Amino acid sequence: MSATSAVERPDARILHGSPDVGREEDSRRHLEAVAPRAGRRAKPRLVYAGITVMMVLAIVVTQLLLSIGVSQGAYRIGGLQDTKTSLQREYQAVSEDVNRLSSPQNLAANANALGMVSNGTPVYLRLSDGAVLGSPAPASGAAGTVTGASGNLVPNALLNGVPLVTQTKNVAGALPSTSGSAAKTAATPSANAASSGSAPVALDGALPAPTTH
Amino acid sequence: MAVTSKSTKRRAAIAIVLTLALVGVLVVKLVDIQVVHASELDAQAAVARGTTVPIYGSRGQIVDANGTVLADSVLRYDVNVSPVDANKFERTNAAGKTETVTRTQAAAEIGAATGQGTAAILAIITGALKDDPQSQYAQVITSVDVPTFDKLNKLDIPWLYFASHPARTYPDGAVAGNIVGFVGSNGKPQAGLEQSENTCLAGQDGQESYQHSEDQVALPGTTVVTKKAKDGGTVMTTLDSDLQWFSQQQLAQTVPALGAEFGMVTVADLKGNIKVAAQYPSVDPNDVGATSADSRGAMMFSTPFEPGSTFKSLTAAMLLDKGLATPETRVLAPYEFKSGNGADLHDAGYHADERLTLTGVLMESSNTGMSILGSKLDDQTRYDYMKKFGIGEDTGIDFPGQSSGILLPVSKWDDQTKYATMFGQGVSATQAQMVDAYLTLANGGVRIPLTLVSGCKQADGTVTDVPSHKGTRVVSKQSADTVLDMLESVVTTGEVSKQLQIPGYRISAKTGTAQEPDGNGGYKPYYYVSVMGVAPVDDPQYVVSVNIGYPTTITSSAAAAPLFKTIMSQVLKNYRVKPSTSPPSDLPPFY
Repeated sequence: MSATSAVERPDARILHGSPDVGREEDSRRHLEAVAPRAGRRAKPRLVYAGITVMMVLAIVVTQLLLSIGVSQGAYRIGGLQDTKTSLQREYQAVSEDVNRLSSPQNLAANANALGMVSNGTPVYLRLSDGAVLGSPAPASGAAGTVTGASGNLVPNALLNGVPLVTQTKNVAGALPSTSGSAAKTAATPSANAASSGSAPVALDGALPAPTTH
Repeated sequence: MAVTSKSTKRRAAIAIVLTLALVGVLVVKLVDIQVVHASELDAQAAVARGTTVPIYGSRGQIVDANGTVLADSVLRYDVNVSPVDANKFERTNAAGKTETVTRTQAAAEIGAATGQGTAAILAIITGALKDDPQSQYAQVITSVDVPTFDKLNKLDIPWLYFASHPARTYPDGAVAGNIVGFVGSNGKPQAGLEQSENTCLAGQDGQESYQHSEDQVALPGTTVVTKKAKDGGTVMTTLDSDLQWFSQQQLAQTVPALGAEFGMVTVADLKGNIKVAAQYPSVDPNDVGATSADSRGAMMFSTPFEPGSTFKSLTAAMLLDKGLATPETRVLAPYEFKSGNGADLHDAGYHADERLTLTGVLMESSNTGMSILGSKLDDQTRYDYMKKFGIGEDTGIDFPGQSSGILLPVSKWDDQTKYATMFGQGVSATQAQMVDAYLTLANGGVRIPLTLVSGCKQADGTVTDVPSHKGTRVVSKQSADTVLDMLESVVTTGEVSKQLQIPGYRISAKTGTAQEPDGNGGYKPYYYVSVMGVAPVDDPQYVVSVNIGYPTTITSSAAAAPLFKTIMSQVLKNYRVKPSTSPPSDLPPFY
């Protein structure tokens, strides 16, 4: 098709004798001139071919590696998301426990179980001048617990089956007892580290205070 | 030839124009698809190609003034089986060996984890198969918590599957349960703050889609969030959960001991913040069914009572504010008083004529004395004052089922009502309204709207819906302070003074023993007793209201007095209120 038009066109241009014709002829000649050059270039040069093939190969390999990496990542993301879900679940379960254990009902019941009584005569220490406001009186065992004799009367269905501190066998076993020998062992660093994981640190006499020199 | 050329040119021009127009239209469409609606279409495509999953926007918490969680959102799991597949299967046990598990064995494991027992699980499976031999769905148990879910999940039973759904939990149980309210099993709020603050609490679920591989792993870069999830806000209440528990505990001890029907304790600070809104019986939102339906609301907002003598303080404040009386104004109070226009009223117990001052009228709680002194005020003035004190008015708190009480317009008062309203009969008010009225007296005569919710903390930390604490003046500061001074006589020398005194603190209190309508035109046989008080008088900080409904063992206000003292002591202790430094007012009750 193009060959036909290439044959026809020159005649028309010659007839018209327009200046364009010369240029078009030039360009055509130019095109013709290129062909042999390309032919010359097409002579195999193994180095270039080798480089090209190597590059193509390199690209293919890189792409493969990348996609392997990406799909590896996808599995890793999937795995981590599963871990996240299960950690969230654990977090939820643990904070649910904390919240229900810190409910006033549970605290009061445990205070009762530990034999704590409430002191009905509050006394205040005014920090500005050290004045004692109110008349201090020790709480007597007969003063009664915070819930009175009847125990907790404010229902909380979440506490069903939650044992009191005094009933928890494993915690009681792990708790360092307040007797002298146990307190001493708790004071050694190794025992401290061992006990800190599962049981509260024993309070030996006074309130804990930072040691300063 | 020239004509042909022209028409050719024209035709060419038309063709070019048409082509350009066509190209233009296509370009516009292209830009529309690739730029303008690109994200939208992308999302649609993603949804069409991938799996769409909801992203849950969790419902917000309800917390007390100290941040203690009163209501929280958690995930619960429904456990289902596919009965048709419930046969023996193989799994790898802890030792790494493959073992065969029979249906009975699996049922035993499930039953042990859920606490239902083997037989119940097998019954569910066989029952479902009896109804439909091809059944793929039978519910084992609904809403199990995470530890149970974990146990079941570890069993690795191929025909056991789970569906998670959000649920509500109330860690403090019945503490403020009637205020917090609860949501139904369908997740719809049904009562209390859960209902009234739903707009703050509700989260909005979002949606995302992704393409996944054969083993359900999301392909990288295919996750598209088509709709963002929005977590609900946190409702911050003004309540103090520890004090609330203490009050409920005390009520639960006192009310049954008195053979009473119900009890209420309300504590508010001077800014109008409700610190305690306790009642007995109370509802545990974790187990709503355990409480009868009529004890599930919040009485202090929903149920108006004729307040009785605690109302006399308001009438006294009106008299002082209008300059019609002083604490020393004298009145000879008889046992029975007849107005001559039909009103006939008398005091609680028979007595000879008493020579009382206005202070004495409050101290002795004399209905006749209050009627004689109160008649100095005209009806419309008293009505206007009552409205300003908030009686018969909306408290401004948004709470489901709230009542405004009944204060009839003056035109509907008969002669008995005219006098009865001076001492709190013939008018009804909720406890919230009465506490607000006493707050006005404690606050130097300025009524501050009560607050139960101090704001909604959005997920991004901003606090919205902060209520106004703007007050309106009802009576002069002088009048309000004087009423407190007069009420102090109830605690220093009144009939139940011994049961009200707290060493070190000046306290003003007023007792009430109200008759309540029985619904048939008469009054109930037992009384609605109450004590309302303010402490300390020299620097008022807290208003405490104690009400007990229809006690049968002690029928007078002495039934409520010990509880008032217990609660007030705890409030003063809890908030480290400094003891009073000035001596009691000592206004003369008699002349």
